[in-house]
Amino acid sequence: MKHFEYFSAHSAEEAVALLQKYSPDALPIAGGTELLVRMKQNLIHPKVLVDITHVPEFQGIALTEEGLRIGSLVTHAEVAASPLVRQFAPAVAAASGSVGAVQTRNLGTLGGNLVSCVPSIDSAPALLVLEAQAVVFGVNGRRQFPLTELFVGPRCSSLTPAELLEAVIIPRHNLGKPTCFSKFGRRKALTIALVNAAACVETNPERTHFSQVRLALGAVAPTPIRAYTAEAYLAGRPIAQEVLLEAGRLAAEDAKPIDDFRASAEYRRHLIGVLTRRVIEGALAGMPKV
Amino acid sequence: MAFTIKVKVNGEWKTADVEPEMTLLELLREQWGLTGTKLGCDEGDCGACTVLFDGKPVNSCLVLAVRADGHEVVTVEGLGTAERPHPLQSAFEQHGAVQCGFCAPGMLISAKALLDANPEPTEQEIREALAGNLCRCTGYTKIVEAVKSAGRAMKSSVK
Repeated sequence: MKHFEYFSAHSAEEAVALLQKYSPDALPIAGGTELLVRMKQNLIHPKVLVDITHVPEFQGIALTEEGLRIGSLVTHAEVAASPLVRQFAPAVAAASGSVGAVQTRNLGTLGGNLVSCVPSIDSAPALLVLEAQAVVFGVNGRRQFPLTELFVGPRCSSLTPAELLEAVIIPRHNLGKPTCFSKFGRRKALTIALVNAAACVETNPERTHFSQVRLALGAVAPTPIRAYTAEAYLAGRPIAQEVLLEAGRLAAEDAKPIDDFRASAEYRRHLIGVLTRRVIEGALAGMPKV
Repeated sequence: MAFTIKVKVNGEWKTADVEPEMTLLELLREQWGLTGTKLGCDEGDCGACTVLFDGKPVNSCLVLAVRADGHEVVTVEGLGTAERPHPLQSAFEQHGAVQCGFCAPGMLISAKALLDANPEPTEQEIREALAGNLCRCTGYTKIVEAVKSAGRAMKSSVK
């Protein structure tokens, strides 16, 4: 790696002040599993790294009045093992548990995964179907917005160079709703998803019809997306195989998959149909018996 | 600017002067001569550089040495010696789980982290714990058998 200056920040204010002082040559570093690889590959050459791993405001998982708050510095291993996340947002725990392998899950953070804005990030779909909010800290204080607005394009977030993701909040009204995450890649570990998906499913009390379904997909568009056409179709429809098939077809139309060296667009569209069925059926299977 | 750091390595506190761009792997191998930990892919895919960082397995090629300041690191040299091998090392030997040997230090460290947390893992749990360690001799079956057997040996020696 090329030489850089290194600073360790001990508060959110100190971190953003350092980033602003050395902008545009500074980048924040947390787990380093993405950043250091890109530096070693000579893709980026920051002159300054601001280590944010000791910033107390960005740590921890807690139930608050607003909902379930997960600090951006919480590692994937911690998200996957958290009793709170497993209870209130099981798909979020499953998604973090599917990232990389044990070694990378012990280093990589939820916030780092999200702000990378790589279209295939595994942490996004489950948070999107739970309508998570992003809390961002900058020199002018905090702002909060729907997580969807963080994703601008491939490797492009809506954060300014001196802003940091502080936490995500899953709103209280969505805690404990039936969710499911699924991912398809060439192997189960250390793989970049060809397609990943998550669903949050609500039905009528008799469990015969969908009342509301939220569906999100990754690796099939410039950013992680919600499949709004498929969601609208599902509302009020009977729980039946042909309905799931049609939802999968509509979800593939909501997406804009590309041909690349990992898979063709056509194969990705097929996978969208398969994963749409899997995550909806998975969420239904996780519901208590009628 | 170099940083002076203090790291507890295999039970002993050591100090070093490191540049910010030095990785923990480079520190272990090049400054401290702990060459049991291997440099493989250098980007977090192969697991040959796995060490325990505060008890958890991490890729030491993806940890800046400065970040180890004040932390505890265990490398394969900290597991056992030829005279007094760790039960995992004995099991790897007995089961023929070492072929070229390049992945073995990382495999042993990942397996130690697993057995420390879960002394009686299922085969599925062993495979998941070792999923981040690649063996290009593809000797996975014997490695999984060795970890299973070491778990049993460690449990019976505790009784």
